[in-house]
Amino acid sequence: MNPRIRAGLAGGIFGALITLISVDQVVYLAGMLAGTTAGMMVAYMEPQKKWLDGLRQGIQAGLLGGLFIVIAKLLRAILINPLIGDSTDLGGQFMLGLNGLVIATIISAIFAVIATLPRPQDLIGRYAMVAILTLIYPWIDQYFQYRFMGEVIPVLVFVLMALGLNIVVGYAGLLDLGYAAFFAIGAYATAMVASPHFGISLSFWLVIWIAAAVAAIFGVILGAPTLPLRGDYLAIVTLGFGEIVPIAATNLDTFSLSILGFKVIDNINLTGGPKGINPINRPYLPGIGAFQSSQPIPWYYLILIIMIFSIFFILRLRNSRLGRAWTAMREDELAAEAMGINIVKTKLLAFSMGATFSGFAGAFYGSYISAIFPESFRFEVSVMLLCMVILGGMGNIPGVILGGLLIQFADRLFLPQLSNMMQSIISSPQVQLPSSLSFLHELSFASDFRLLLFGITLVVMMLLRPEGLIPSERQRMELHADEEPVVEQQQTEVYTARNQETV
Amino acid sequence: MATQTVDTSTTGRNIPWGLIGRISLVVFFVLFLAVPLWNTILEMIANPQLLLRQLIIGLTNGAYISLIALGYTLVYGIVELINFAHGDVYMIGAFMSLTLIGLFGLQAATPPEVRYPLMLLILVITMAFTATLNVGIERFAYRRLRTVSRLAPLISAIGVSFILQNVGLLWGYLRFPALNGVMGSNAVAPKSFPNLLPTQNLLEPLQAVFGEGFRVRFTGKDLIMIGTAVVLLGALYFFVQRTKLGKAMRATAQDRDAAALMGINVNRTISLAFLLGGALAGAAGMLVGLYNGTAVFNMGFKAGLFSFTAAVLGGIGNITGAMLGGLLIGLIAALSDQYINAKWTNAVIFGILVLILVFRPTGLLGENVQQKA
Amino acid sequence: MSENLLLKATGIVKQFGGLTAVNNVDFNIPRGSITSLIGPNGAGKTTFFNMITGLYVPTSGTIVFDGEEIQGLKPDAVTTRGIGRTFQNIRLFAHMTALENVLVGQHCRLHASLLGILALTKKVREEEAAAHKRAQELLEYVGLGRSRANELSKNLPYGDQRRLEIARALATNPKLLLLDEPTAGMNPQETDDLTRLMRKVRDELGITVLLIEHDMKVVMGISEHITVLDHGAKIAEGSPEEIRNNEQVIEAYLGRGAAAHGKGGRQTAATGLRT
Repeated sequence: MNPRIRAGLAGGIFGALITLISVDQVVYLAGMLAGTTAGMMVAYMEPQKKWLDGLRQGIQAGLLGGLFIVIAKLLRAILINPLIGDSTDLGGQFMLGLNGLVIATIISAIFAVIATLPRPQDLIGRYAMVAILTLIYPWIDQYFQYRFMGEVIPVLVFVLMALGLNIVVGYAGLLDLGYAAFFAIGAYATAMVASPHFGISLSFWLVIWIAAAVAAIFGVILGAPTLPLRGDYLAIVTLGFGEIVPIAATNLDTFSLSILGFKVIDNINLTGGPKGINPINRPYLPGIGAFQSSQPIPWYYLILIIMIFSIFFILRLRNSRLGRAWTAMREDELAAEAMGINIVKTKLLAFSMGATFSGFAGAFYGSYISAIFPESFRFEVSVMLLCMVILGGMGNIPGVILGGLLIQFADRLFLPQLSNMMQSIISSPQVQLPSSLSFLHELSFASDFRLLLFGITLVVMMLLRPEGLIPSERQRMELHADEEPVVEQQQTEVYTARNQETV
Repeated sequence: MATQTVDTSTTGRNIPWGLIGRISLVVFFVLFLAVPLWNTILEMIANPQLLLRQLIIGLTNGAYISLIALGYTLVYGIVELINFAHGDVYMIGAFMSLTLIGLFGLQAATPPEVRYPLMLLILVITMAFTATLNVGIERFAYRRLRTVSRLAPLISAIGVSFILQNVGLLWGYLRFPALNGVMGSNAVAPKSFPNLLPTQNLLEPLQAVFGEGFRVRFTGKDLIMIGTAVVLLGALYFFVQRTKLGKAMRATAQDRDAAALMGINVNRTISLAFLLGGALAGAAGMLVGLYNGTAVFNMGFKAGLFSFTAAVLGGIGNITGAMLGGLLIGLIAALSDQYINAKWTNAVIFGILVLILVFRPTGLLGENVQQKA
Repeated sequence: MSENLLLKATGIVKQFGGLTAVNNVDFNIPRGSITSLIGPNGAGKTTFFNMITGLYVPTSGTIVFDGEEIQGLKPDAVTTRGIGRTFQNIRLFAHMTALENVLVGQHCRLHASLLGILALTKKVREEEAAAHKRAQELLEYVGLGRSRANELSKNLPYGDQRRLEIARALATNPKLLLLDEPTAGMNPQETDDLTRLMRKVRDELGITVLLIEHDMKVVMGISEHITVLDHGAKIAEGSPEEIRNNEQVIEAYLGRGAAAHGKGGRQTAATGLRT
């Protein structure tokens, strides 16, 4: 298929899905996302040298994507809006759709033109563009009154954790099924030193480092017993730890310790039990004051800053001797050892580095929701994080971020919106359900199809595209080598590209 | 290129981690566990009836854990895959049998001469269903990945597990009149099985011997649970050890390529392993549903992990080992429920799993396989 | 004498369960030599090799390398002390580029600490730049030009993979280079090139080379010292000329009948096989 059609289709379907399930103003957001998708994809699949070609290509893809938004808007106006009592004014809806189309086209064109710049500039331009969209998002959100910020922030927390898990799974090749444990440890460490629970109230800016350090130490402690294990055994042991940590958190509300039968510690409430610890102190900045849950913008920028720093550090690790040791170990442990790599040290560093970023995430999350419960760190969380890493492309930072955003947004925004819409359709007076379908009333689409969605993602990705949506450079090179005879130049390019990214 | 001086301080002699680990375990044991353990033993001796009761509970738990554990062991023995979805196949078995019970309109009041033949029929249908399901899962979700990498099928299996759990969740919405309301009123809530198994105490005559103080119960339910499990396990053992297909399975487990060269259809043998495992899991699902009286869509996760632990404890790939491991895990869980605290039992089982995998990954009956260099 | 020995193994025994793979072998590698370890299949060569490099721990005996006992050390510790190796069946890091493979080889010679890496100190940056430069040099040294540097190692032709393995081993800065059947599967032209490379490594870099090899032409052509193992025991030791005429060696390779005919018999047998 023509790359422009493919890019337009991908962006368009994405935008249309969003448009279909959401209210009027979201069409601008749908346009932005569709345009970004189409523009990035078309430039990636069909690189152009001249800016005019890029412009043409970007406009074509963007127009096609936008067209889907218009159609989706009209479909909604005709089929859905009458049922749920939204606007049925076709002309007005069409204009809204057109707005979406224009935005999609412009953004797609910008991305496609940027991609025609010579090598370093195009990357800088692309990242700058993404950065701008990310930075101004709070104002878009506020202006159009989306009220998505409350969901966007936890999404970013999970993306941060996926980046940490990517170190363990993607770089070092250690399948960790209990990664949420480190999230829990970071969050509990935060709760213990920054809440009335023990009466200790350290500043958040200190606590976040303590949480990361504690998580890193636990990374080593829990990693050490798994050293001799390979592959699936490792996965099961990490899963075991991932289960033990929440169980301990639930049950350590009465903690007693006897040494040789003498009680040393008697009945201390360590973790707050099933109720968790609540409240947890908020960060405080002069000029802003203590962060409030009603004011999401400072939180948004805080998590963005944490993420940017994390990505920065992860890239450094990746391109250092340590990162190479991880990859080598993943490729062939025995050969790596024979090349002088200390496997024990390298594995433990992977576990503890991975845990560190989860510790950051835990500290932030705990203080953001101002409470923690053992139930938020179950196996499901670990698997969801794994899905995020696999969907985007193991070992590749943009891939992991993309995978994380997709899964998290689907889980936190798309599915709840969809279920809201379905509920209002089913309960509207125009719809008469036969009694055998009455159970549809109880069906909550958000929580009832989550597992199915993750499950299908995992299976389908493994079957069709085990390398993920955006495969890491290594895997991409491998695919190129299979398809095309002239590989040298491209590979050099890709390789230089990666070196540039780290600058 | 001059050779650099080697910094020996960073690469010092091998530190005897194994020894240090063992010593610290002993120290840990003496400091923290020895006294509570001694107290527990005293407690057990002080009240032998309680101990006996827990042992009976452990035995019945062990029966179904063994059934599920066999599915893990059979599959792992042949394709070296931890079939993560196996616990959920067991859950589907419970739901299937409950649905059939509803369809046939079985109730506690149904006369035994109708009830037991029908229950046997339901058992057979359930086993056939889960067996087919398991074979289908292998065919669609694992087979193509067998050659890709070791982790790809495992991740796929996790995906299947989630899909099955969701199927179980949606199953709870089925409210056809023909089902006689077995799915209750709430999709997520545990489903109730009717009391179809006899509950009279078979040890009542012993009261005449030991007097009124003898309170240990061993009911018809316990007997049916253990009896069915023993019959199925025996049949499986016979099948694998004595029949031609069983021999093919064992050959494939030893060396897949060599077996293929000997004219064994490897794909069919692998399917057979999934078939047998699925059937046993389905039977376990029905037995547990009837025994405990409930089934819930996420019951497979915990049962699966217990059974996997059992399989590893016995030595994964080893059929006798899985039975023994199931029994031990059942007993450990029952004792932990009573003497430690039920809320810590899961952690105890996971702790055992970790300890076995780390210190004796071959399990109790497994052979010591050297890592290939 | 022992001053001139880079590696001195004494009384090495290795048992696997009841099977004795290597039985009481003494073995010396003179500093700066090219030494070969030969023997029929299953003679215990690779087992011996694996004990030197730390993959196996000898059941008994000592291995002294450069004045230090190394038996029982982990492979990475052995490598750090100055023994680099290649593998009989190539074990490159398949999804890393040729350059990265060589960079991994330098791992134990780089000193960047975790904090240094995260802060990207000047020292770390300089070390990385130097490592990249040296990796390029090594690739060129073994005859893989710059154009190959950024190709995934799995996409390299077979002969280049063998060379890359040698470059990777050289990157560990070895005093002793262990080559496990480096010419296996190569055509005569490639074999000649590789033989030249081995000699170059010794002559120019002063690295002692220990070779396991089946190709007698290579062994006889390049080695100064040959040790012959058979059934886990050392049956002969000496210069190529001595080995060529050693009755026991011929017997081990060709059976009792051939030994009776001495050197002539061996040639007959060999020609007999060819026709």
